[in-house]
This record gives sequence, structure tokens and C-alpha cells, in this order.
Amino acid sequence: MLMHNSSEFVHYGVVASSIVLSSISVGLGEGLISWSALNAINRQPAARDDIMRVAIIGMTLVETVAILGLLVSILLLIYSNIEITSHFSNYSEIGIACAMGITGLVIGLASAVPAQAACYAVARQPFFTQRISGFMLMTQVLIQTPIISAFLVSLFIQGQSNSATTMSNCLRLIASGLCVGVGSIGPAIGLSAFAKAAVSSLGKNIKAYDKLLSFTFISEALIETPIIFCLIIAILLLFGIPQETMDHDFDGIIFLAAGLCTGLGTLGSGISSGKTAAAACTQIGENPGAYNILSRTSILAQSLIETIVLYTIILSLLMILLR
Amino acid sequence: MNSAELIETPEWSFASIAGYEENPLLTINSEIIIHTWIIIILLALALACVNFILRYTVIGRFLLIQFVSFFVDLTKQSLGFFTFSHCVFAGSLFIFITLCNTASIIPWLEEPTRDLNTALALGIISFFYVQYTILKTRGPHLYIKDLFQPFFVMFPLNIVGKLSSIISISFRLFGNIFGGAIITKLYFTLIRGSILLELLGILSGMNFIIVAFFTLFEGLLQAFVFAMLTLTYISIGTQESGH
Repeated sequence: MLMHNSSEFVHYGVVASSIVLSSISVGLGEGLISWSALNAINRQPAARDDIMRVAIIGMTLVETVAILGLLVSILLLIYSNIEITSHFSNYSEIGIACAMGITGLVIGLASAVPAQAACYAVARQPFFTQRISGFMLMTQVLIQTPIISAFLVSLFIQGQSNSATTMSNCLRLIASGLCVGVGSIGPAIGLSAFAKAAVSSLGKNIKAYDKLLSFTFISEALIETPIIFCLIIAILLLFGIPQETMDHDFDGIIFLAAGLCTGLGTLGSGISSGKTAAAACTQIGENPGAYNILSRTSILAQSLIETIVLYTIILSLLMILLR
Repeated sequence: MNSAELIETPEWSFASIAGYEENPLLTINSEIIIHTWIIIILLALALACVNFILRYTVIGRFLLIQFVSFFVDLTKQSLGFFTFSHCVFAGSLFIFITLCNTASIIPWLEEPTRDLNTALALGIISFFYVQYTILKTRGPHLYIKDLFQPFFVMFPLNIVGKLSSIISISFRLFGNIFGGAIITKLYFTLIRGSILLELLGILSGMNFIIVAFFTLFEGLLQAFVFAMLTLTYISIGTQESGH
């Protein structure tokens, strides 16, 4: 009886945490955007219509995070595993809470940062609102890539949780959720730092638009590579392991360690890669003539920083494959 | 098929998504090889027409010249100087990977880069080209000496560091294309169930947005990053003038 109650508790806890954590960050992010919009209007009252428009576009994009969290919660409520006797299938839903909750908590705040910078940029350059808002839109869409991968992993975890009847299976699903969730923290912080620098340097020097645009595409693709590595490990944990080979409970601990290894490994490299690109972006805005040497140095540094994540992903692969 | 069946069907295994039966590294997927050959034939046909395009079409000539000058600029920008062979190598990698990444817009064709084997093969090609270039520029003596920098003990770490570039460059390509392919496949399986959803998808432009972002945009971007990183590795290796 106690076991049944606790598994119900876990199920509803997951349903709640998926939506609550993402809406907390979305609420905070939208508040920050409107705060910056009001500050920017204070600075440049003539451009208040443009600033409000940019702020509203930014807020609608930030809300995507909460909508995805809501979708996952509704899916979990409709297809609940409460009637199933094995409590492990409910415990394995903790993976969904990790994936959607942690990622939503970070991405909501991270994708609000470029919109904040865009408000100030429009206050500085009111005649280029179109370009600045397009640029902001693009950076925000790229920042929200992790939430899509987390959503995907959550769907797969939900699909497999019915058949998770052993301890190792349950820990495997939790590990894949943790890998995506924890792994998105560092790159999201890096991406937001980079996007803030890019949008504000566009506000300072609108003539560097072409160079900043191409630099943004390459840099954001490089910064979010760790997230792709986490997605690979999560998909490997979900689909790459034959059912009959995990009969021992000890395997579950290995899966958990492998997921956390790659997840935590991305933390430092994501942040530092973003900071590197942000510094280069600020310099490009101030001095577009030095674009070649700046972008070369930045990409070189980023590809060296990424080596750290590779060591952790190699370790995770070895842990999973050489069990 | 509604969403509940979609995420609960046993068909959604690793094998159905990636096309493998067992270990992805040991199994050869014959479909992927056929698709790669189709892309190579398409590419060869396009190359056969280049002479015609250059002579008789104005827009085609303009686009070709733009493309080539873009790659010349890219080589100069990444290496600091212009080398014809590096430019040609990076350009051909870019063209081939772009076609591979965006192959799914052609009916009954799948992206070969969705297979780990194709991505690894491309990574290994790029790795050997980079190492050959470094060996040629630095000379065998300095090349071996670099492996023991800064101390003798660092030799295994340097080897791992060199080899990890294969994994970095190929897993990045594979992961991005694989993720995009899963998302598009999931979406199109979801709307295939009812006519209403399909109409809504076509009319609202959602189908177009999904394909444009996850296939065309990601494919182009990842091919560009692949070519760019190959040039960057060459520049790291050749410009390291002693410690």
C-alpha cells in the first residue's frame, strides 16, 4: 500500500514539476524582458512603439518553453501508468522531470537574455528595428534547441516507461533524462552570454550586420555541440542497449554514472565556449575590419575547449559498451 | 495512428530510426550505401553540366562564381593564406555533405549522414587529410617531435587529442542530422493519421517550417561547420611553430 502511494506521489510530482519549473523560468524571463523594455523606453521615449513590439516578439518566443512543458504534463496525465502494478515504471518518469524541468528552468531564462539586449539595442538604433528584431529572433530560436531535444527524450522515456519493470531499466531511463537535463545547463548559459553580446554589439554598430550574422551562425552551432553529444548519449541509453543484457541491478548504476558524466562534463566547456565567442563578438562589433583574425582565433579556441567534452563522452561510451 | 500509439509502438526502436539491426558500428546498412551512390550519381550529373552552365546561363554563372569566391574567402579567413588544394578539399566536402544532409527533400531518399558510419567515414577522411598536410608542412622530424611536447609523458594524451578530432567532427554531424531526422519523422508520422491534421499542416506552413529548419538550415549549417573545422584543424597544426 505504501509502495503504491509513493509511486502515485512520484507520478503526480513529475507532472507538476515539468510544468512548474518551466513556468517559473518563463515568468521570470518575461518579467526581465518587460523590465528592460521599460528601461529602454525611459532612455529613448520616441521609440516606444518599436521597443514594445520587439519585447512582445521576444516574450512570445520565450513562452514556447512553457508550452512544451505543459504539453509534456498533459501527455503524462493522459497516459498515466498508475494502474500498472510495477512501481518502477512510475519511478522512471523522474527522468522526464529531470529532462523537461531542468532544461525548462535554464532555457526560459537564457532565451530572455537576447530579448533584453534587443530592447536596449532598439533604443539606441530605432531606425533598424527590423534587423535587430530578426537577429534577436534567430538567436532565440537557436537557444531553444535544447528544449526540443529534451522534449524528444521525454517522449521516448514516456513510451518506454510502461515496460520498465526492473531497477536497472528504471535507472537507465532516469539517466537518459538526467544526461539531457544537466547537459543543457552549461551550453544554455554560454549561448545566452553569446547572444547578449551579439545583439548589443549589433546595437552599437549596425554596419557590422553581415559579419555578425555569419559569425553568430557558426558560433552558436559550435557552442551547442555539447548538447548534441548529450542527446547522442541519451538516445544510446534509450535505444542502444539490448534488453536481455541488463539483468543485474548494478548496470543501472553504470547507466546513471554514464549519463551524469557527459551531462556534467558539458557544464564548464559550454560556459567558457560561450564566453569566448561573446568576447570575440564584442570586438567584431567595435572593429569589423579585424573580422578574419578574430573569428579565426575564436573558432580555434572553441574547438580546443570542446576537447574536454569529448573526453567525457568517450568515457561514457566506454562505460556503456564495456559493461 | 494517434500520438499514444506512436510513442508506445515497439517499432520505435533504435533499429527503426537508424536502420541498424545490432551494433551500429559493425552492421553495414545496404540502403544507406545505395542512397549514397544515388547522391554521387546526382553530383556527377551536375558536374557534367557545369561547363554548359558557365557558358550559356547568366544566373548559373553568377551563382557559381559567387560560390567559388565564397570558398576562396573562407580559406583565406580560416588559414590566413590561400592554398588551392585546401580550398578544393573543403569545397568538395561542403558540397557532398550538403547534398547528403538535405537528401530527404527528394522523395524516397534518406540522409546518408544519419548513419554513424557515413559520418565517421567523412571524419576519418578529413582527419587523414589534416594529418597529411601537417606532416608535409612540418616535416616528419618536427611532426614526431610535436607528439612529445611539452614533456615526454604527454605522448599518449597528444595521441588521444589528435584522434578525438575524428569523434568531435563526425559526432557533431551525425548528432545534428540524426536529431533533425527523428523530429521530422516523428512530426510526419503524427500528422499522417488524419486528413484534417495534414491539411492544417500544409495550409499553416508548419510542414514547410519543420523541413526548412531541421533539414535545409541544419544541413547547410552543419556541412559548413564541417568544412570550416577541417580548415581550422589544418591551421592549428601548421601554425604551431614550436613551444
